[in-house]
Amino acid sequence: MPIIVNLDVMMAKRKISSNELADIVGITAANLSVLKTGKAKAIRFSTLDKICEALDCQPGDILEWQNPAEKT
Amino acid sequence: MWNKHRSLKLSRILVLCFSVMIFMMTFFVPFVADWYEDVSDGMGLIGGSVYVPMMVTLYVCEGLAVWAVAELHILLKNISKGEVFIERNTRCLRCISWACLLAGGVFGVMALWRFLLFLPAFFAVMFGLIMRVLKNVFEQAVEIKSENDFTI
Repeated sequence: MPIIVNLDVMMAKRKISSNELADIVGITAANLSVLKTGKAKAIRFSTLDKICEALDCQPGDILEWQNPAEKT
Repeated sequence: MWNKHRSLKLSRILVLCFSVMIFMMTFFVPFVADWYEDVSDGMGLIGGSVYVPMMVTLYVCEGLAVWAVAELHILLKNISKGEVFIERNTRCLRCISWACLLAGGVFGVMALWRFLLFLPAFFAVMFGLIMRVLKNVFEQAVEIKSENDFTI
């Protein structure tokens, strides 16, 4: 999928651990891991809202669209 | 009180009964073929005795039935474990569909001896097609479930 999740970058910038973020957002650490590793197929607005609030960032800081043609 | 667990149990018991029936059938195939040879008086493209073709047809169909019942058993076992929309179940439905279509083909060949046997061939193919459509629906459901599971 051309959507890249830069959640780990943002978490590193904010110096927040996975367990901490999972607790704040209200999702399991396993689901957060699915999101971080890019295995997620969709993200709810409510989850995105909580993540942005917890990391004090914009959705664009977490999600990035990469043109598949440019990948090569 | 009737519930889904009892319904599932009934299905599993019926599958088991059918498996026993298929097993028992193995010993009676020659008698059934012999009986059919005596009573059948239909028309066909190929003349002569239907004893051997009938025996071959019944044995091949029995093998296909064993295959289909084994897949049904796996399907019911997965459903009872709560694993409904998984890839393996789609494969089960695909196998059952192929078993029915092949049985239809076998009866279709047997119909060369007796045209009347086009009827079971037609029903087997029809059932195989229905199972195939069900398989397609299941395939889509597996995809939707996977998408739902990976929605955070």
